[in-house]
Amino acid sequence: MDMPRDTTTEALDDAPDEALLVLYANGDRLAATALTRRLVPRVLGYAARLLSDRAEAEDVTQEAMLRLWKIAPDWRAGEAQVSTWLYRVVTNLVTDRQRARTRRAATPLEDAPEVADEGRGAVAGMIEADRMAALDAALGQLPDRQRQAVVLRHLEGMSNPEIAAIMDIGTEAVESLTARGKRSLAAILSGQKAALGYEDEE
Amino acid sequence: MQDRDTEFDDLDALFSAARARPAQPSEALMGRVLSDAVALQPVSPAFVAAAAPAPVGLWRGVIEFFGGFGALAGMGSAAAAGLLIGFVQPTGLSDLSAALIGGQIDSLSLMPSLEDMIPEVTP
Repeated sequence: MDMPRDTTTEALDDAPDEALLVLYANGDRLAATALTRRLVPRVLGYAARLLSDRAEAEDVTQEAMLRLWKIAPDWRAGEAQVSTWLYRVVTNLVTDRQRARTRRAATPLEDAPEVADEGRGAVAGMIEADRMAALDAALGQLPDRQRQAVVLRHLEGMSNPEIAAIMDIGTEAVESLTARGKRSLAAILSGQKAALGYEDEE
Repeated sequence: MQDRDTEFDDLDALFSAARARPAQPSEALMGRVLSDAVALQPVSPAFVAAAAPAPVGLWRGVIEFFGGFGALAGMGSAAAAGLLIGFVQPTGLSDLSAALIGGQIDSLSLMPSLEDMIPEVTP
């Protein structure tokens, strides 16, 4: 049976992050659910791209969300956007982990994202999965700061001032990092055109 | 060999394809995050008050009226003791009441009669 959605839940889904956080701090259980549903996929996606390790990305996601729940009662309205604050926390957590594992060799290809079959042909789906895996692998070859800037700009859709706040650098540094990162990515990927299946699809 | 613009177009296409595939967190992760949220959530007095008027059973209401289960248990044992004393009439207690009251009491008026309440009018 198709249950009609609770109007309260729907209203919460439209509410800004900050309003939900205030509701959460006031003891509203639905706000906790709405925030979790909204923020966890974004945080996880970002952490997974930076870390190339799903389990580690999940741990970082849980830890970042934990810090959000803890700060909720003391959240100062209008000072920062919730998403910007959260990305900043994730970036710092990831940086800590990357520093801790600098001696380990990167193994980005092992953790290609899962393929969601949405009714397309198996071959087309596979090619897209390969492309995503190639993108993740190429991102994994970038220096950490370039990768953070490129992912925030081009995959998370953040503006340069937002990225500057997240990475704690100036906007000029952001522009430089994204430009260099994008050039490096293009160079890495151009060597893999055949594997990516551009020619097949176009 | 492709020129740089085409390379960047390809890259942009790849980015937009990646953006169209948001991460899908596992149920386990969502559960972990949500249970943290519930554990750390401040409890607002307003929400406690709103949550309180859950259906309360009759016995629960009675017990709470008398000040909880412990108080009610105390009252129960006092009542049982009173009943027992009344039936058994221990000799010690009879002696005590005789000493205090002085003899057998056949009747006891707990309500003063109406006549005692009316002031006497002397002609």
